[in-house]
Amino acid sequence: MSAAPALAVEGLHRSFGGIHALDGVSLAVADGERRAIIGPNGAGKTTLFNVLTGEIPPSSGTVRLEGTDVTGLATSDLARRGLARMYQRNELFEPLTARENVALALAAAKGPYRLSRARTSAESAEADVYLERVGLAGRETARARGLSHGERRQLELAIALAQSPRVLLLDEPTAGMSPAETASISRLIGELDRSLTILIVEHDMDVVFRLADRITVLHEGRPIAEGTPAEVRGDRLVNDVYLGKALEA
Amino acid sequence: MAPLASIGFYLALLTFPDWSGAIEGSRYMTTILRDMTVFAIYALSLDLLVGRAGMPSLGHAAFYGSGAYAAAIASQRLATSELTVTLAAAIAVSAALALVIGLLCVRATGIFFLMLTLAFAQMVFAVAFQWTDVTGGSNGFAGIARPTFGGLETSAPEALYRLVVIVFGLVSLLIWWISRSHYGRALVGVRENERRMRALGYHTRRLKLSAFVLAGALAGVAGALSAWSFRFVSPNDAGIGRSVEAFVMVLIGGAGTLLGPIVGAGVVLYIDRVLSSAIPFSQAVLGVVFVAFVLAARQGIVGSLRAALVRVRR
Repeated sequence: MSAAPALAVEGLHRSFGGIHALDGVSLAVADGERRAIIGPNGAGKTTLFNVLTGEIPPSSGTVRLEGTDVTGLATSDLARRGLARMYQRNELFEPLTARENVALALAAAKGPYRLSRARTSAESAEADVYLERVGLAGRETARARGLSHGERRQLELAIALAQSPRVLLLDEPTAGMSPAETASISRLIGELDRSLTILIVEHDMDVVFRLADRITVLHEGRPIAEGTPAEVRGDRLVNDVYLGKALEA
Repeated sequence: MAPLASIGFYLALLTFPDWSGAIEGSRYMTTILRDMTVFAIYALSLDLLVGRAGMPSLGHAAFYGSGAYAAAIASQRLATSELTVTLAAAIAVSAALALVIGLLCVRATGIFFLMLTLAFAQMVFAVAFQWTDVTGGSNGFAGIARPTFGGLETSAPEALYRLVVIVFGLVSLLIWWISRSHYGRALVGVRENERRMRALGYHTRRLKLSAFVLAGALAGVAGALSAWSFRFVSPNDAGIGRSVEAFVMVLIGGAGTLLGPIVGAGVVLYIDRVLSSAIPFSQAVLGVVFVAFVLAARQGIVGSLRAALVRVRR
């Protein structure tokens, strides 16, 4: 393990008009850790992800990726530094095949200014490895827009993995999935290599307690608790604002 | 089958003046075909933006016009009609202009991109119209010398025809090559989901700018060929009408395909030049055709035929 945390956030603020979506978020995620971010709707989870990926600049605060200050860097530069995101609402290349969706992620490392031929058999073979890993074997030539909701989530994950990231942000990976699909994708996430650091926003508490090493609870843009799953489960405040309701539901 | 057919079609086009002698009006047809080919290059260049990268430019005539003016002015002022010099001048000027305009436009998307490109093209038009000392103002340039290549003259109609068709072949080959390459696929990625492309680590603005400059340079080539074909350049070549023309060709023929812009250029020029002498209101016909495609067949002629072919094969 390196000395610096894989991802460290300090005093992150972001307001939209008068609303403080992030109101002083600090957290440090160790190398290889699985960290879940939970909290009620509007707690600032998605805003936090948008700031981490550079899609929204923070009003103040710093973000460090493996010890380097990356605050305010463009999304594409953060991706090149090893940050990948599985989007909550799928961001796919709809008319392209599943294989080509993954191939675009693979090709990013070498850059787009190449007049050599894309869609080679070597490239296909490489892309198919990722498709198989997420359970999309046999669907390589299906267009993204023709996939079922569950398959689209799987493809979304395959694309993020094909970026070979160091830090992976998972934004509600099981959203809208059937119980069987949820079980298989959470098993898949659980089996990912420990060299990868994972932040996960998820509403399904079973998935959270199974996958997370540590949990941060956000409430109104602020972390109100952090600890192991057992610690967080026992926290009175957390139970009052969130867990009580989430577990009943 | 498709590559063989394309090569056969291309060779027939290239040798048209040689075998069409017996057909009545073949000289006139050669002229029409030449102009269709010039506009096919122009439409292909715009399709790189509209069809591949999803950048709806309504100011493409800025680069067509600047290429035409650059070729005309270069052959007049540099006292040479050498193709390598005058064509290079056209490419350099239109590419440089595309770089400047592109830098200011690629931040915008959709309708804002469209309006910005239109506004900048109108500025280029205004310069062509008012900078009389250099551009000839509203009179434009007449009597432009046709180029020479090595010792070869292109002042004869057949020779110029061949030059135009050869350049068209090279440009088509380039576009085809790009469409199969990593670069071409990355442009499609930007068209389909720019946000995801950024998240994958692509610098999408740079990518869009590169396409804008390349498309501008190729439009400049088309403009230079038009200057030699018509031996005349006027501010209209940089005007909004010329920009719209390319857009209509791409949409009627089929955006994002290699054949579409070529077919679109053929259809538009046919209506404009051939049908106009046979029936009144041919421009209205073009309007009706365009509206029909926008309403009923957004994929254009080539896109719709392909979709139909896929349905039949199933």
